Amino acid sequence: MSLFPTVGRKQVKVRISWWLVVAFLVFGVFMHLVPFYIMISTSIKPATEAMAMPPTLWPKEPTFAAWGLVLKLSDIAKSVLSQPLSKYFLNSMIMTFGTMILSIPVTSLAAYAVSKLIKGRASKNLFIFFIGTLMLPGIVSLIPSFLLTRNFPFPLPVAPNIPGTDVPFPTLRIWNTYWAVIIPAGFSASNFLLFKGYFDGIPDSIINAARVDGGSEFNIFRRIILPMSIPVYAVVSYFTFGATWDSYLWPLVVIQDSAIAPLTLAIRRISDAFGAAGTTNPLTAVGASAGISELVSQGLSWNGLMVLGLLQAIPTFIFFIIAREYLLKGVKIQGLK
Amino acid sequence: MTSVTLENVVKYYYPAVGAADSKPVKGLNNINLHIADGETVSVVGPSGCGKSTLLKVIAGLEYADEGRVLYNEHDVTRVTPQDRGVGMVFQDYALYPTKEGKNNMSYYFEVHHRSEAEKEQRLRETAELMGIGFEMLMGRQVDTLSGGEKQRVGIARCIVREPNVFLMDEPISNLDAKLRERTRTEIRRLLKKFGITTLYVTHDQQEAIFMGDRIAVMRAGSLEQIGTFDDLYYSPANLFVAALIGTPPISVLPVELMQTTLRAAGQAELPLPEQLAGGLPQGKLRLGMRPEGWQVAREPQPGSLAMNVTRIERLFTERAAFAHGDVAGSPVNALVPLDFPDVKILYLTPDWERAYFFAADAETALHLPGAPELF
Repeated sequence: MSLFPTVGRKQVKVRISWWLVVAFLVFGVFMHLVPFYIMISTSIKPATEAMAMPPTLWPKEPTFAAWGLVLKLSDIAKSVLSQPLSKYFLNSMIMTFGTMILSIPVTSLAAYAVSKLIKGRASKNLFIFFIGTLMLPGIVSLIPSFLLTRNFPFPLPVAPNIPGTDVPFPTLRIWNTYWAVIIPAGFSASNFLLFKGYFDGIPDSIINAARVDGGSEFNIFRRIILPMSIPVYAVVSYFTFGATWDSYLWPLVVIQDSAIAPLTLAIRRISDAFGAAGTTNPLTAVGASAGISELVSQGLSWNGLMVLGLLQAIPTFIFFIIAREYLLKGVKIQGLK
Repeated sequence: MTSVTLENVVKYYYPAVGAADSKPVKGLNNINLHIADGETVSVVGPSGCGKSTLLKVIAGLEYADEGRVLYNEHDVTRVTPQDRGVGMVFQDYALYPTKEGKNNMSYYFEVHHRSEAEKEQRLRETAELMGIGFEMLMGRQVDTLSGGEKQRVGIARCIVREPNVFLMDEPISNLDAKLRERTRTEIRRLLKKFGITTLYVTHDQQEAIFMGDRIAVMRAGSLEQIGTFDDLYYSPANLFVAALIGTPPISVLPVELMQTTLRAAGQAELPLPEQLAGGLPQGKLRLGMRPEGWQVAREPQPGSLAMNVTRIERLFTERAAFAHGDVAGSPVNALVPLDFPDVKILYLTPDWERAYFFAADAETALHLPGAPELF
């Protein structure tokens, strides 16, 4: 509450600007909540009402029919979705938690080393090297990264031959497996920055005290530093979860097998199929598959897409609430002096 | 029961990375130091003089680039801090913020896989030693403790494991004046009780005098002098030590020796005892006088210096007062009786028994009074 001074609140100008700020913030919050409101209200509308023009603010007859139909998608429209929706959900979970389990320890230990264990020039150079990866837009390295997943360690479409023979070099192929999503995300430069910033704030004397007490470097990290760093771990966990759960482009490039595709790819496929079936726009109906026509006739339209969108968004939301708890719980590093 | 010996220890450090001149600088320059078993040595010097580095080298938190560090006769130059068995107290307490007081103290037992019973017994003994009210602190979260309480826990964490060597890095300089007084008496009591070899780093000379059996004076990575307070006060190795030790500091006046007459600034002429004049080179010199070395008068005396008084500071506990001012531009302090009236000008006659002489262009001491024979 320090945006305005406590003293002088009764002055007219201060009061007016106070209420202007309040109005501005309320407007901002409102603008953020509107899309969610539309998603939720549309998801419980019947198919025809979801398509009605002008749209209704709240369904006349709220129904969870669309939720039921979405959960049975693969039974009705096998040609669109070969696996049950839960399978895609599971795939996303595997990729997300796999990434977190690999990326958070790797990134935080690297940041701890650069911040506290390596001294002088080497530390500075390593820091610049790690941060340098942020300078390159991800889209630039998309194709080389894709080729690497096919022919590691060669960023080439086909591995070269061993000189003097017709035999190509042996390569490691993680393309079209879960690993293709998990391993490239094993180190995150932006999370490295967050960790390093936090570890830099921990006084060296605490680590020195633990060393004198006889703790090994890893024990110090685990028993002293880790409990102090719960807030930054909470933040990074949340970022990593959100980024991986919602990632679309990279899985699209490296995952071909529908059985291991994450939820984002599945939702996109359904959305495309609906588009082709003319559900989203009746005028452009072309070559709809039998399964989609069946779904449409059973009452699935935009309401179904909204259900899928919500299913995609809910885990991130839940994870945010969990991370927030720890964020507040761990703020104990202050008050050392 | 450990003595600590440093032999020609050199520690380089590099100025800020990327700075134009990144040549290594000697953070510690050929340090030779022996701390006898059970002795307390306090290290004093201006900030940045390398006294904390010295402590880190002894603790093993930094390794010496050249020279050796010995505990008794064992060479520990390359031994990690984990294996040295030292106890260290830090200026910022360095308590583990997520642990409560008791667990701060038991981390040592945890990482050394000591038995629960031994840990409990040591904790109990330490709590007893630390005195009244300490049991209470052990159960508290460290972020609820005050500065003084934190440092008590910090010291307890240090003595609970019975260290070979006790290292203190300005342990009480973050406390307020009153608490500092109390804590330093407390620390001194504990040190006497244990007889542990101790190195006590401070920038406060009063504290250094109070804590140390001997005092080491450091400047710019070099050990200037080590000795008892009397050694440092009456026989300083050079002008730097003379100026550092003593409050208010020694007054230094530029003078010129001609035969047996000393010509000071302001054209005053001071006759010098022949014996003293014979031992000094002719020409420009620097005269150092402690506040108690002056004979003070309100009227001009033959062979006295006129001092412009800016302020008289009365010290009631000492039954005395300090007159602060200058003689022809050089700052001078003189000890005067407590009931001395406020005057503008004082006349000072040096007591030649208590005079220090230094070279005019170097810090070399040419004549020192030596410790007075009190009995």
